[in-house]
Amino acid sequence: MSQRPDRILTTHTGSLPRPVSLIDLYRQQASDEVVQEELRPAVADVVAKQREVGIDIVNDGEYGKPMIGEVDYAAFTRYRYARLTGYEVLEVEETFELIGGRDRRDFEEFYRSGAAAISETGRQAIARNVGPISYVGHDDIQRDIENLKAVIAGGDASGAFMAAIAPQEPARVGDHYATAEEEVLALAEALREEYKAITNAGIMLQIDDARLVAEFEDKYSIDWDLGGFRSWAAHHLERLNHALEGIPAERVRYHVCWGSWKGPHSSDLPLKDIVDLILGLNVSQYVVEASNPQHEHEWEVWKDTKLPDGKIVVPGVVTHKTNVLEHPEVVAQRLAQYAGAVGRENVIAGTDCGMGGRIDAKLAWAKLAALSHGAELASKRLWQR
Amino acid sequence: MPPDLQELVVASWAGELEDEHALGERLRTAVAEVVVKQVELGVDIVSDGEFSKSSWMGYATERLDGVEVREGTNWYDAEGTISGNKDYRDFSDFFEQAGDQMTWFAPGAETRGRQWSMSRESVATGPLTYSGHDAINRDAANLKAAMAAANVEEGFLPVVAPASVESVLQNEYYPDEESFFADLAAALKDEYRAIIDAGLICQIDDAYLAGAWEYREVRGWDLKAYKDWVALSVEAINAGLEGLPEDRIRYHVCWGSSNRPHSTDIELAEIVESILKVNAQTYLIEAANARHEWEWRVWEDVQLPEGKILMPGVIEHATHVVEHPETVAERIMRFADLVGRENVIAGTDCGFRGRSHPQVAWAKLEALAQGADIASKRLWRR
Repeated sequence: MSQRPDRILTTHTGSLPRPVSLIDLYRQQASDEVVQEELRPAVADVVAKQREVGIDIVNDGEYGKPMIGEVDYAAFTRYRYARLTGYEVLEVEETFELIGGRDRRDFEEFYRSGAAAISETGRQAIARNVGPISYVGHDDIQRDIENLKAVIAGGDASGAFMAAIAPQEPARVGDHYATAEEEVLALAEALREEYKAITNAGIMLQIDDARLVAEFEDKYSIDWDLGGFRSWAAHHLERLNHALEGIPAERVRYHVCWGSWKGPHSSDLPLKDIVDLILGLNVSQYVVEASNPQHEHEWEVWKDTKLPDGKIVVPGVVTHKTNVLEHPEVVAQRLAQYAGAVGRENVIAGTDCGMGGRIDAKLAWAKLAALSHGAELASKRLWQR
Repeated sequence: MPPDLQELVVASWAGELEDEHALGERLRTAVAEVVVKQVELGVDIVSDGEFSKSSWMGYATERLDGVEVREGTNWYDAEGTISGNKDYRDFSDFFEQAGDQMTWFAPGAETRGRQWSMSRESVATGPLTYSGHDAINRDAANLKAAMAAANVEEGFLPVVAPASVESVLQNEYYPDEESFFADLAAALKDEYRAIIDAGLICQIDDAYLAGAWEYREVRGWDLKAYKDWVALSVEAINAGLEGLPEDRIRYHVCWGSSNRPHSTDIELAEIVESILKVNAQTYLIEAANARHEWEWRVWEDVQLPEGKILMPGVIEHATHVVEHPETVAERIMRFADLVGRENVIAGTDCGFRGRSHPQVAWAKLEALAQGADIASKRLWRR
């Protein structure tokens, strides 16, 4: 993908619907061998399926990250505990009080109705640091890489990506480290192992940062304290850059995750208030939400913000936050807005967030097909063919 | 809708309500409350929240003579009809599991009411005439009293279009659809007129016009046959509106409000010319959800006739995510640029009751008012 494309390329944000058989194995905590037997052909299928619906930059559907229910929004972050030492993982009841903030305050009855639940078990994992943090997921990440490369033509991974979680500050300092800072730096260095494994394999690394805006929601949204938040965010992003040390920016894309739960999101951090800071990251692509109505207007941010040369925006042009299937013309319209703001060659069509575990499987695939159909329409118009 | 009112309404349908007066009294106060709430949020033209109705189309069968109610499933909800719908077929797993997601926030009583009405089918077995004069006069009086108390000038009452009644009323009496529609129109005309006479705006709801395309397989339609039926539906509406002042009529067409993929929705361009033939001043059309958000572009090619007003949906119930006011403003501006700022009113894709959580619904209406404000400032360069 090093050549300049002559059309809008397509990708997505990572998680894709898992086969029920694979979910069952994870639920039963089957052995690595048994899982791998199911996983390898499943990854082959999911790559073929992405090609079929017209996705250019593909992944393994995050199938190597255990999903333990057909509704499961947390696999993208929970997977890390199996690949790191130093944590004690606790299962707690999923309650909306786990995160604070303005949205939950203003829509308490809505949240209490359970409409925005993110698991079917009603349980959620939280972890506490109890010892030195180090990366022990080498076998897991190698397995994921090999499963993916095995099904990419000629093993050329330049059209592939793989997501990994960003280091994040613990909600509470654990037992082992004296300060939260020490703990998060240890985590950053541990996760770097995973990042390097991915980029060394020639695969584009996608950093899933679920903490950045969650922190705003949780601690700063009620007072709308942008100043306080930005100081925290600057530091948070510095630590991410530390985790990315030695990794070429061209091999990394950054996903700003506003939280995939299907709630009002009425107090989501505006992109305009953070865009300058995230542009300081050592990454080359920004994967942002752009198709749910809280963020759909934010293409306008890029009219006022200069996207540095060589950087690319990957707007989400379909979303799991509605069961309505996007019309390809809606997708094309969204892409045209971004192309108008940052230049057609600096836009890749993406999704608001991962689809797996968050929406009906067939609908997820139909949305990806609408995405590539819309990208085709937009490309024809933008390149005047 | 307040849950206690809902309880009373359902009890009344089921014939279990001992004191009908209590229902009438609670309805009156609930309408007063909902009008105040709309005014607080900045809504200029208020409604009664449709609190007196079982559903947007089903209520009509309760206000008609010539209708027999039988045990059974109305054809609209029948299994065979659903399986004849491509959207349902293509996403069968979704529909199996969607359950709650189709009407998310129906409180217990509303769900019970829905089940009750679904277990009955209404059949036209004799000449249809309007018998709902008391009901519509009560609705108009409740709304007008609430408007006077809240100091608001304009109010509207939604009513069903003749052809949309067909979705919940089987015909065993009339020899053909033409005569069926003709009598439906003549009967409903009494209701339309009562609203106008009360000084209110009459909103004709017609989800079935676009929604009926979903049932093309069951009905054996190709595109042309469907369009002929659309033309017939529009003739029936106009018959019902004959002699009524166009500037007091608005017409709402939508594609069905269930929160589903809508993958086979007919495109607006196919039916827009027919819609514009309806003798209404204002047209309310879905424009916020992901299936129809692009269709503002229809107005690049289609001229909105002089004196007509477009009321696009700029917020929707099909996602819990609350629209950002800037998203609303952007949607309004697209229409204003094409048909003129003075010919656009900011609206909603559809009604919210039973479709969004009440807290979310009200926040969306607030976003609508804020977005309209932003758009107005830009459009009038203030």
